[in-house]
Amino acid sequence: MLARRLRSTFPALSRRWQTTASTTAVDPPSAGGHPSSVASSQLLRMTRESALRSPGISWQDEESDRNIVGGRETRKMNLYQAVRDALSIALAKDDTAVIFGEDIAFGGVFRCTMGLAEEFGRERVFNTPLTEQGIAGFGIGLASMGHTAIAEIQFADYIFPAFDQLVNEAAKFRYRSGGKFSIGGLTVRTPTMAVGHGGLYHSQSPEGFFMGASGLKVVIPRSPIQCKGLLLSAIRDPNPVIFMEPKVLYRSAVEQVPIDDFTLPLSRAEILIPGSDLTLLTWGTPVYHCESALRLLNSPPPSLAPLVPPSLRSAKVELIDLRTILPWDVETVVESVRRTKRLVIVHEAGMTGGVGGEIAAEIGKRAFLRLEAPVRRITGWDVPAALQFEKFNMPDAVRILDGIMETLSY
Amino acid sequence: MLRSLSFKRTPLLTSIRSRCRALSTQPASSLGCLPTTDSPVVSKLAFFNSVTGDGSKIPSYRVLDGLGIPIEGAEVPEACISEQFARRLYENMQLLPTLDNILYNVQRQGKISFYMTSYGEEAAVVGSAAALADDDEVLGRTNVFIAYGFANSTAAQYREVGVLLWRGFTLDRVMAQCFGNHEDVGKGRQMPVHFGSKQHHFHPISSPLATQIPQAAGVGYALKRDPARRSKNVAAVYFGEGAASEGDFHAGMLLASTLPSPTLFLARNNGFAISTPSSQQFYGDSLSARGPGYGVDTVRVDGNDVLAVLSAVKEGRRRCLEGGRAVLVEIMTYRVGHHSTSDDSFAYRGRQEVENRKKIDNPITRFRLFMESRGWWNETEEEELKSRLKQDVLTAFKRAENLKKPDLKELFTDVYTDEPWNIREQREELVGLIEKYGQVWEPWRNDLKNFKDEGKKLSD
Repeated sequence: MLARRLRSTFPALSRRWQTTASTTAVDPPSAGGHPSSVASSQLLRMTRESALRSPGISWQDEESDRNIVGGRETRKMNLYQAVRDALSIALAKDDTAVIFGEDIAFGGVFRCTMGLAEEFGRERVFNTPLTEQGIAGFGIGLASMGHTAIAEIQFADYIFPAFDQLVNEAAKFRYRSGGKFSIGGLTVRTPTMAVGHGGLYHSQSPEGFFMGASGLKVVIPRSPIQCKGLLLSAIRDPNPVIFMEPKVLYRSAVEQVPIDDFTLPLSRAEILIPGSDLTLLTWGTPVYHCESALRLLNSPPPSLAPLVPPSLRSAKVELIDLRTILPWDVETVVESVRRTKRLVIVHEAGMTGGVGGEIAAEIGKRAFLRLEAPVRRITGWDVPAALQFEKFNMPDAVRILDGIMETLSY
Repeated sequence: MLRSLSFKRTPLLTSIRSRCRALSTQPASSLGCLPTTDSPVVSKLAFFNSVTGDGSKIPSYRVLDGLGIPIEGAEVPEACISEQFARRLYENMQLLPTLDNILYNVQRQGKISFYMTSYGEEAAVVGSAAALADDDEVLGRTNVFIAYGFANSTAAQYREVGVLLWRGFTLDRVMAQCFGNHEDVGKGRQMPVHFGSKQHHFHPISSPLATQIPQAAGVGYALKRDPARRSKNVAAVYFGEGAASEGDFHAGMLLASTLPSPTLFLARNNGFAISTPSSQQFYGDSLSARGPGYGVDTVRVDGNDVLAVLSAVKEGRRRCLEGGRAVLVEIMTYRVGHHSTSDDSFAYRGRQEVENRKKIDNPITRFRLFMESRGWWNETEEEELKSRLKQDVLTAFKRAENLKKPDLKELFTDVYTDEPWNIREQREELVGLIEKYGQVWEPWRNDLKNFKDEGKKLSD
């Protein structure tokens, strides 16, 4: 939100204040906070062909019937570049679209809006005063006039001043007007989740607070392709959407991303690794911790080997990325749990009142007779995100591994 | 930073000095100015606490005195006030208390759940509505919230229905909303007096206070970006002096002045937010003193003088369009009625004080005297108008009273554009419950008959 906040918490970012707005070169990732699991992830699509074959891709151009692998190109992008790419397409194709928030005109503190002000003009890409309730309210006003309003809240930790505007106003706007007014053009982007050293106010995952805000959609991507496709869907969805970008992935998650205009469906989970013995459900950054946990389970390093019973190592765990938190894809999750009979849910937010509780209750109702173990939640503890304690607070690979083993051997 | 500026004759300092001279209306200080403002540096310590140079209060603009006679030096806005227009103003002003009398009483009889009157604020409502273009976007707020059957509020209420009526919103639609019947475009979902009409460029009212203020800045920005409406329309936002204590007021003023957006802030200061007098709402010179702090053109006007309100809002709107930025008009009134039907205002103010107000300074009487002085109005016309308005309101009321509620299925629609699985399943659950209990559980059996579909469309 403030340069002061950033300087104290993100040394790498404070340097960027000195750079010119036209700089587009990618800095090397700053030290610390980046899970090594992301760099070695098999979930990221490193070839053009695999990128173009991402499940659920829907091309949004005249040549949508073109052979998808034939004439289309991809470019290597990290997550912030994918955000920028999506925003650029949204602005280019929709004259009513504007982007606004704190410090976005020079490119944004995470570079997601680099060069957009120069390309599309200051009337369409502009800074606002430092007021989150104002940013959300302003966006609602723009959207109520049929315009496309893409607002940025600098950190999800600072979305709470806008809570009233989002929950009382944005979520209920259509309903209270009998469907006559709509603010479907509103999308609120915000960086979320832990970053290694974000402390109390640069680490939060507030998606659970919006779980009961019927009328809103809440979306969290896991990778650059996902980010571009889901963000373009969010911007074009006829309902207000809160789009939370896992900030630790901005630079660390890199894959080949199709350069054309495409969308990915909202309210649809994606099965990343099929399995038959346990369903592992998560979203955002922990997708990679889950992947690491599965690697630890299947081939534990010597240090962990004595703690991983050989009988569990061949377990086939199904990994699912929920992607949309509200309204969530109950069908895919229930179908999976009915097959595997076991469910482990992983999220960074605290357990009590978190999204995991909602999902566990629904699965308990729909798969009661199939479950062979209690639904297990592996989450941040019910404490604020204390700076020096992050490794012991966030659900990392070993905690996930432990939860999987306990659930498998229940 | 300060220390670095003490080095003399640096290029930076020189450029700041020349900028300071160019922009400041005061003689340039020999000491230069600070880097983030054009304010000249001075050597004498002096505090200030007023936006007027001599420390006096910001004046209130008035055209007519209590007897409807133009005060010395005031100009009647002849250009916009013909006999026909004056009659329209007066009829609309008279319509409000007529509507209020009937709806207030039917609330007392339990026929509608809630109501708020606009007694004493007729000139503020009608004068400002008349100064706007009919397609200016209006955002208002009833400033009500309700809990456990008690209505309450934290700010003065403004009956923006006056704006809608001025624009031709029918009495049938007023009644439909208040009764929440099937003709209500809001489908009976909101409490009474929460109006909205796309056709009349009137955004749907909601109860949370001041939320509409930053939204108005966004609406203004959208108008500026739309080639068809740029320099043609403003966003006009109404709120009370209590609502202006919310953070959203600060946000909205800031956004509309900084970004900038053609947004007309119409603050109605009636002295009370429920029981809270404005002396407990702020210590400064009311809302007008805040405008200049945001760099916003501001005026305070006598809200019991419809011609003053009309002129001030018209000029405010003109400036708004010309400058493309926020303008603030503070309309001073007095809330003669109770805050709402759930409030007995004599618990916190004297009955005599209110009675005096009604007699001494009644906005309707003041304008009527003006009309009579021009030969545009007389006693016969007054009687005719009053009985006609009463008849119109009663006819609409009786019609609305007999209409059914919307379809019960509308409980579940419009949350999203499409119905997600959870809402679909919950709707189906209610279908099952109604099949099972609808005819045997008396509270449901009685109420089902009131819905247009009697609950039968719920399973569609």
